[in-house]
Amino acid sequence: MAVCIAVIAKENYPLYIRSVPTQNELKFHYTVHTSLDVVEEKISAVGKAMADQRELYLGLLYPTEDYKVYGYVTNSKMFRKLHNSFTDVMCNPFYNPGDTIQSKAFDGMVSAMMVQAS
Amino acid sequence: MAQCVQSVHEFIQDSFVPMVAVLCSEDAEKVTRKNNLNFSELLRPFCRLTSEGHMRDPNNQVQVVKNLRISVNNVVTRPSVPASGTPSLAQRLLLSEVVSTCQPAEGGVANVITAGDYDLNISATTPWFEAYRETFLQSMPAADHEFLNHYLACLLVVSSSEAVPVEKFLKLSQEQHRIQHSGEYTNPKWFIPNTLKYYVLLHDMSQGDEHRADSVYEDMKQRYGAQGCYLLKVNSRTAAAGADEQIPDPWSQYLHKSSLQNGSLVNSLDSTHPLQLDTSGDTPGSLDALRAVAVETKAGTAAAAAASHGACLTLNDHDRIRQFIQEFTFRGLLPHIEKNIRQLNDQLVSRKGLSRSLFSATKKWFGGGKVPEKSIAELKNTSGLLYPPEAPELQIRKMADLCFLVQHYELAYSCYHTAKKDFLSDQAMLYAAGALEMAAVSAFLQGGAPRPYPAHYMDTAIQTYRDVCKNMHLAERCALLSAEILKSQAKFSDAATLLIKMTSEVSGDCDLRSALLLEQAAHCFINMRNPMVRKFAFHMILAGHRFSKAGQKRHALRCYCQAMQVYKGKGWSLAEDHINFTIGRQSFTLRQPENAVSAFRHILTNESQQASSQQAAFLREYLYVYKNVTGVCDVALPQLPLPYINSSATRVYFGHERRLAEGEKQAATHVSLDQEFDRDLAAMWRDLEEQVVASANRGVVPATFQATQCCLNSQTDNLRFPLAVVEEPIIVEVVFRNPLKVPLVLSDVSLLWKFTLKDFSRPQDAAVGDALAFSNEKETLARLKLLPHQTGQLNILGLVYNLASTPSTGGTTVSSSAALKSDGPSPADGTSVRGRQDLEIQGPRLNQTKEEKTSVSHGPDRRLDPTITPPMPLLEVFFLQFPTALLCGEIRKAYVEFCNVSGVPLCGLRVVSTHPDFFTFGSSSLATPLTPLSPTSFENCSAYKTLATPPGATPGSVAAVTLVSAGDFGLGEGGSGTSNGVAEIPLEDRVLKPGQSTQLPLWLRGPDHEGVHEINFLFYYESAVKGGKISHRVLRHTVFICASRSLCVRATACRSNTLPEEEAEEEDERRNGSMLVFVDVENINTNEAGVREFHIAQVSSSSKQWRLHRCINPAEDKDCKLNSRERGKLCFRATRCKPVQGTIMTSIEKYIFADLSLGNEQIISSTTPCADFFFRRCPPSDSRRPPVAVETQGRLSRSQGAGPGGGAEDLTSLVRKCNEVDLDIIVLWKAFVVEDNKQVILEGQLHVALQTIGKEACSLTQKEEAQEMVLLKFKPELPPPMTRPSMEQLSHLIKTNLHYPESYRHPFIHKSLCLVPVTLTLSNCSLAQVDVIIDLRHKTTSPESLEVHGSFTWLGQTQYKLQLRAQEVMRVPLRACFLHAGVYNLGTPRVFAKLADQGAMCETSQQTATPALIIIINDT
Repeated sequence: MAVCIAVIAKENYPLYIRSVPTQNELKFHYTVHTSLDVVEEKISAVGKAMADQRELYLGLLYPTEDYKVYGYVTNSKMFRKLHNSFTDVMCNPFYNPGDTIQSKAFDGMVSAMMVQAS
Repeated sequence: MAQCVQSVHEFIQDSFVPMVAVLCSEDAEKVTRKNNLNFSELLRPFCRLTSEGHMRDPNNQVQVVKNLRISVNNVVTRPSVPASGTPSLAQRLLLSEVVSTCQPAEGGVANVITAGDYDLNISATTPWFEAYRETFLQSMPAADHEFLNHYLACLLVVSSSEAVPVEKFLKLSQEQHRIQHSGEYTNPKWFIPNTLKYYVLLHDMSQGDEHRADSVYEDMKQRYGAQGCYLLKVNSRTAAAGADEQIPDPWSQYLHKSSLQNGSLVNSLDSTHPLQLDTSGDTPGSLDALRAVAVETKAGTAAAAAASHGACLTLNDHDRIRQFIQEFTFRGLLPHIEKNIRQLNDQLVSRKGLSRSLFSATKKWFGGGKVPEKSIAELKNTSGLLYPPEAPELQIRKMADLCFLVQHYELAYSCYHTAKKDFLSDQAMLYAAGALEMAAVSAFLQGGAPRPYPAHYMDTAIQTYRDVCKNMHLAERCALLSAEILKSQAKFSDAATLLIKMTSEVSGDCDLRSALLLEQAAHCFINMRNPMVRKFAFHMILAGHRFSKAGQKRHALRCYCQAMQVYKGKGWSLAEDHINFTIGRQSFTLRQPENAVSAFRHILTNESQQASSQQAAFLREYLYVYKNVTGVCDVALPQLPLPYINSSATRVYFGHERRLAEGEKQAATHVSLDQEFDRDLAAMWRDLEEQVVASANRGVVPATFQATQCCLNSQTDNLRFPLAVVEEPIIVEVVFRNPLKVPLVLSDVSLLWKFTLKDFSRPQDAAVGDALAFSNEKETLARLKLLPHQTGQLNILGLVYNLASTPSTGGTTVSSSAALKSDGPSPADGTSVRGRQDLEIQGPRLNQTKEEKTSVSHGPDRRLDPTITPPMPLLEVFFLQFPTALLCGEIRKAYVEFCNVSGVPLCGLRVVSTHPDFFTFGSSSLATPLTPLSPTSFENCSAYKTLATPPGATPGSVAAVTLVSAGDFGLGEGGSGTSNGVAEIPLEDRVLKPGQSTQLPLWLRGPDHEGVHEINFLFYYESAVKGGKISHRVLRHTVFICASRSLCVRATACRSNTLPEEEAEEEDERRNGSMLVFVDVENINTNEAGVREFHIAQVSSSSKQWRLHRCINPAEDKDCKLNSRERGKLCFRATRCKPVQGTIMTSIEKYIFADLSLGNEQIISSTTPCADFFFRRCPPSDSRRPPVAVETQGRLSRSQGAGPGGGAEDLTSLVRKCNEVDLDIIVLWKAFVVEDNKQVILEGQLHVALQTIGKEACSLTQKEEAQEMVLLKFKPELPPPMTRPSMEQLSHLIKTNLHYPESYRHPFIHKSLCLVPVTLTLSNCSLAQVDVIIDLRHKTTSPESLEVHGSFTWLGQTQYKLQLRAQEVMRVPLRACFLHAGVYNLGTPRVFAKLADQGAMCETSQQTATPALIIIINDT
């Protein structure tokens, strides 16, 4: 299960970010932000090789001491679900692309993916 | 990793240099002391050799030694650093000091790195790191497993002034020997047992005898050989010559650092004599001293610079010293090393083959192979020594080190490699690690790179140092070297990983190292081929955190600031807040309060997503910091970020705040800040003002007209500078919004303004800012008042206020608002700061031209820049006894008080209203006041002017008649009158003097429709002194009147069929005809509790042609009373007025008012207020029916085209006219209302306009009418209505009447035929000649004709053809013949009529008279 889920815009600002242990939110934000470097690196590497066959799953970005940071898709359906839900948000005609996501459905879906904080 | 001053090769070479010890005699020390230096310090700047040296390796190959540096140090016998792996406290303090003193230069080199969207400004170099590294490496304690920093040689220095220098040399030599070999001292460590001793004779040129020195030197050469001694002549400079000669000071760059270095530092503890051995010195002692020195260095950097070094040295002396070092190195040190390498090599070669196997064999024998002494457990603890100092295993390492020092890296590598294998096989991990480290380094340093750099050697070495040997010190050195090498090979990622690995542990004592390494790692990330900006930022933050933990606040701040560049404005608000907060804190502790404030400001101005407690903390901190800033500099008030000011919502109000009620008086509502702006209302007021201005300027609105705006907001027109009047306050309403979740307390709020004097007629006087205070969670308003005392241009710039968070002691909840504070100093419990915020209002976006549409440009907004103009009159209007609820049509008298509260006379007072029919000030022509002027003396009196009816007269019998011209009531003429709702207020003298007030009566009439009516008054006035900037002023008033239903009056007019009684009427009157008017009055009041009953007091008529004549009500009760839901009917006869009355006044048509009083007093309806309301309600009849007028005209023009024969329009109008009545009925009523157990009589009047005979008119006008008007408006070219008058209309031309006896007795027995004379009266209603045909033939087939038993016959002529002149009455005598007794309907004659000149038209059947029944009685 995930402890923190973030959707980042193309321009690298957070559209949506949520973490379960709320007291340590800052750390997760830093972690997510830092992982963007790896994402960028991976994407640019793939982009050179084969632009069409870009695999959305980036795999393990890097491990920290306590957690592992993944990009996009894992072998579970977790990220697929996230993507579908994100697509739904994007399809909402009232959603202005680039705004932070404030969708209840998305929220609910993310909550289901999260570790249930006791 | 940031750029370094040194190249990697230089750096590594300099990290490992030959060490030379110095033993100095006391006298020699004295000589050097003259220069404020000791001997080793004296030499230090010259320790790098500029020329190349040569030596031969064991294979007799010449090896070039380039750029060699040697390190000269005094002998220190005290162990400076414990041998353990962790750095000592003293060392840590030293490093910390080094780092903190080395700060980035102000405005220093910064290179901009562009990575993706980021443009980062990063300091190119990190000198603090280099300083740290250098110091760290130099302070490395000499270890036993390696020899690199063991002393290779020892300089023995003796002054020439010594009595017997040779003896002294001997002594020093013995001393050295004792130190090295006696075993008393573990420190310093010596490389080789027979250390090179180099004898230096120091000669003071200024003091000693040079010849003696030379002779002693000759002696020394004899004794020690020419290559083992040197005569150094210094201090040749005389004190006298020294002053003006500028000598470079090469020591300054070394000494500052070196004085901090451990060795010399400890030296400085016992600077009396370096040879005075003090073994008792322990760490705490040195620590204290170190602290003292640290303080000293801090305080006295400048002082140290002043006490310059080398004051007694000339440039020649410098050269001599350089010469000496070169001589020493090339003649003494290098041959010594060469010799030793050769020796060691020989030893090793001789042992080779044999020794290896021998050693391993012995090991096997002794260790038994299975249970070696170096068991696994022991292996773990390999920090302890394994080999004795002279162990053969160490010889190869020693040789390797020597080779390394003289830059013979190839040989060094092979030696290290061999050593490594040996050590590994021996499981001597510490030694192995050392060998690995150096092997890697020498492999890297080999020129031409025959083999790649073995990075894994380094990794293994670091791991071993750290994990097995627990020696962080060595691990760190290894990491530093390795990282530097990796960096040079552009392996930034590896370097970063390596550096981060070194910091991963969390122990508290290595914060500084962690911080520095993290920073370097961050630099590695940013220097990658694809710069990893975010990783850079993150590690910078980590570094900053560690820096701050290590107490390096400046560095911490710098790190955070650099990281901030990445996080700024990218939406990572939590991180951004965190960084800003840290920057703020660090800046504050570093006494950079401005930076702190701006950082804190960022946290607070962002739409913070922090929890409220966090926000409260931020705010507290911010206020605290801020207070300290302002405490320092209180010259200019700084800008405060909180709360937000919604600038565009700022409203400006010009004028006094009005009291709405003052006792009995009710002030005009005018405009206040409490009102919301309403665009429609504003337009309405503008229209009203335009009307009144037009009426004041003879019907023309001046081109310069601008509607008065008392209250400016974002929706008003703010392009012009608003005009404010001197001595009249300006109130500015500012909207604050608190973006935080914690309450803010604002106090002492005042406006900031700038004033430009324009008129110097008055003395300089300052405007006064008033203050308000409040606090809230969300949006709050503050109103601030400014009172200008002078004319000129005012600019309101901003606000000044005290900001505070909630006092924590107050215990108020977060949501609590409105902690109002009195002005004055803020209370002591909460921190409060004073600051300003500017009000900058952006004008509306321009959208006119194409340019403006495509770009975003805003117009000016001058809301806050009022022009102060000279005094203007100021009117205050109060209403007395002004009702809030009225019955429909109720007349109420109220009073208005006009007050000129200014110092300027006022004139031209006018009023305009949306409902001009609602009120009247009375007609100006009736000058005499009809009612008492004071409202107090007027209680329960009728609003009307009344006359008591003569006691004898029957109520309602005779109508009193008055003639009134409409002009008297300000109607009719379009000029300055009340043409469209504008009324001049009849002031005495037309001027209201300063301070004067006047009361005027005001009559009100309840609106005709029930419901709540909003009635707007606009009072207009001018200054009696013309030519001011403000042409006029206005005062608004809005009232809400609740109208409730009273009576509903319906009236119908019918033609009277009866002929006027001949005896009473004159011929004229008969000719004019009369009419019956039925007035149907219904009580439709629903408020049964309030209104008990209505009395119809009087019915009056007003018309130009008709008048009510008398009441012909059949009911006994003339005073008509109506209870709830009751309905009463009144019948009146109306007569046409005498033509005389109409002809006298031809120019001005007069209205005839006829009063028919039903009670005992007559209300004179032709006076104020009754007539006023009549005229206000009904404009003159012509204008009342505009469509008809248009119709007539249009038809006229068409008829002219058609020729003289066609007169359809004349016909129509003629026909219509004959049906037209222009009679207005005024029903005056009284209502008895119970109010608070008191009966109150209310009066009122209702108007009904009768226009057509037979058509019912109602006092409640229908809604459709208005709609019709609108339609007409939209279609001005209305298709002409039917060209001919309708049948219905034509059937009203002739009025018929039968005159006969009601009953007729006839003796049928005697005479079977009964003849009854009947007179048929025909009266022409129209104004034209009419041809009439009377047909008497029986036609009883019509179903509506009453079926009567039997029939009768008309006798004589059955058809008449007559012609009637206009309004002529003609009687036709007829005879009816009856056969039986009975009841007969005589109304059978049919009358056809047509207008005489309309030949083509058929005669139209005229409306038959009602059945005319006659009773024929058989008279027996």
